[in-house]
Amino acid sequence: MVLLGKVALGIAGTALAGVGLICSEGMIEVKVVEKQPEVHHVYVLAPAMLVPMTMHFIPNRKLGRCSAEIKPWMPTIRAALEQLRASEDITLVEVRESDQHVLVTKSGGSVVVDVTDKDNIVHVSAPIRAIESTVEQVAAASPEAKD
Amino acid sequence: MRKGIRAIGVSSLLALTMGNLAGTATAAPAPTERYLHVKVDDAAKGESVNVNLPLSMAAAILPTVNKGSLHNGHVTIGEADFNGVDVRAILDAIRNAPDNEFVTVKEKDQDVRVAKSNGNLIVHVLDKSKDGEKVDVTVPMKVVDALFSTTKDNELDVAAAIRALSDAGDAVLVTVQDATEHVRIWIDSHSSSE
Repeated sequence: MVLLGKVALGIAGTALAGVGLICSEGMIEVKVVEKQPEVHHVYVLAPAMLVPMTMHFIPNRKLGRCSAEIKPWMPTIRAALEQLRASEDITLVEVRESDQHVLVTKSGGSVVVDVTDKDNIVHVSAPIRAIESTVEQVAAASPEAKD
Repeated sequence: MRKGIRAIGVSSLLALTMGNLAGTATAAPAPTERYLHVKVDDAAKGESVNVNLPLSMAAAILPTVNKGSLHNGHVTIGEADFNGVDVRAILDAIRNAPDNEFVTVKEKDQDVRVAKSNGNLIVHVLDKSKDGEKVDVTVPMKVVDALFSTTKDNELDVAAAIRALSDAGDAVLVTVQDATEHVRIWIDSHSSSE
């Protein structure tokens, strides 16, 4: 019985460590509220580490064109993300129109985009580290391998 | 065995807190960060745009862009854009001159004034047409010097100008006001434009 308890504790500990590791890159949060014609709520909260992990399953040929386009801009993207990570929380862009409000902020290690208009409310939050590793993976795909 | 179980527990807790710790450890802000702000208000349409950009970010990004006439933080300008005018010689003359109004043009539909005041190069343009657009540009001479600090005559060193802006004090660089729109570009040490 004691042995069974120890085994269960070991499994629980390993599972907890796994969850901790998966969540270590932060969480991606997507919230969409459709106001018209009917109200719909969509809420997704996923570990950011899953994105670069999932990227491994996308065939190289599918990423080929993206890779070719993004590669020349990688030094700029790297510099921007590095500076963004080091910067304090800041509202980067805010656009207010009569029926729309767009807000792009850096908040606690994440880039947050909020769009509110008369039909929808959209909130997307993605950790900068996850964006960085995903973009690096896209750039690393072989540009020659196209569809 | 008990030690092993304890180790698993500790490692689980460590793994859980790893993300948060890593996040906070890298988010230490630079103490003297300065920001470039752009604010556009259109009262007629009820629209506004705010952009806040850390100057350190602009300074780091610019040298990495190699597209069109922008290379390594330098902008290449065609000879035709200078119209044969020796801009460096003019700037030398302005730098060494005392504060003064150098150019005043008064036309039927436009007034233009170029002056030097308190180490700043100032340009005022007033359009007297129906919109009544008014443009004020104030650029510290240090920034102008940095802009023309390249060895090539047909290049502007934008990256150096941004570095010079970082060292300059709080300043309103550009204001444009017409009948409905107001544009303001300024630099300060506040991360928000409010």
